[in-house]
Amino acid sequence: MILQITLLCGVVIFSAAAVLLRDLLRSAICLAVASLFLGIIFFRMKAPYIGAFEISVVAGMITVLFVVTIALTKTEGDVRESRAASWAFPVFFIVFLIIDVMVTKSLLGRVPALESVPDRGTFGETLWKMRTFDLVGQIGLILASVFAVLALFRKRSKDE
Amino acid sequence: MNNTWLLYMAFAVMLLFIGLYCLLTMRNLIKLFIGVVIGAKGVSLALVATGFVKNNILLAQALAISFIVVEVCVVATTLALVINIYRQTGSLDVRKLTKLKG
Repeated sequence: MILQITLLCGVVIFSAAAVLLRDLLRSAICLAVASLFLGIIFFRMKAPYIGAFEISVVAGMITVLFVVTIALTKTEGDVRESRAASWAFPVFFIVFLIIDVMVTKSLLGRVPALESVPDRGTFGETLWKMRTFDLVGQIGLILASVFAVLALFRKRSKDE
Repeated sequence: MNNTWLLYMAFAVMLLFIGLYCLLTMRNLIKLFIGVVIGAKGVSLALVATGFVKNNILLAQALAISFIVVEVCVVATTLALVINIYRQTGSLDVRKLTKLKG
């Protein structure tokens, strides 16, 4: 459990660093490291499929998308972030942390357990048979995203 | 619900807070989407942790995979939008996006 808490702290620290660092490239790399830690946490929760998905897609593909966008925009020093926002973050975070711990402590043993039926079968059966409707939605969403990206990057004719 | 679940929830809420803080205070468009991705991490942690505690890890994984697919589609489309905005305005400052050109 100690290792799990350390990894969770790592996710929070690297996520905070991704927000606070001024260099966008470093922010993107911090985000990838946070995703990597989260993937390891998922593996330790005996959820290998989502762990592999988190590491390959979120830590890999989304980081590549961010790096490509940063390379294509090249705006270092263009956008000045508010210094007050960076300085105020630790204060807000500590206040939030205190509230978070207090609420969590007050809920210990009070939240009733919901009834649930343990999983049966394999992951493939759960994904393909129980969540078939989700998969149809996902295919539609991926197609919509592809069309949106194609529309945004289309070549303009001379008349436009 | 047991204490392990509450511990995971506390960390998931922390991630959501960091993402929300980024969305509220940052001005760079790319930074804003980094905030969205951090918030999404909190949501997927909450989903998988609940499945882990309730012995429903397979269902939780299926749901979290759907969620990550949605997240990737949103990030891909919005980053394409960001590049277009940069080409139009020459800046990534969210404060400069005040004019609508029809």
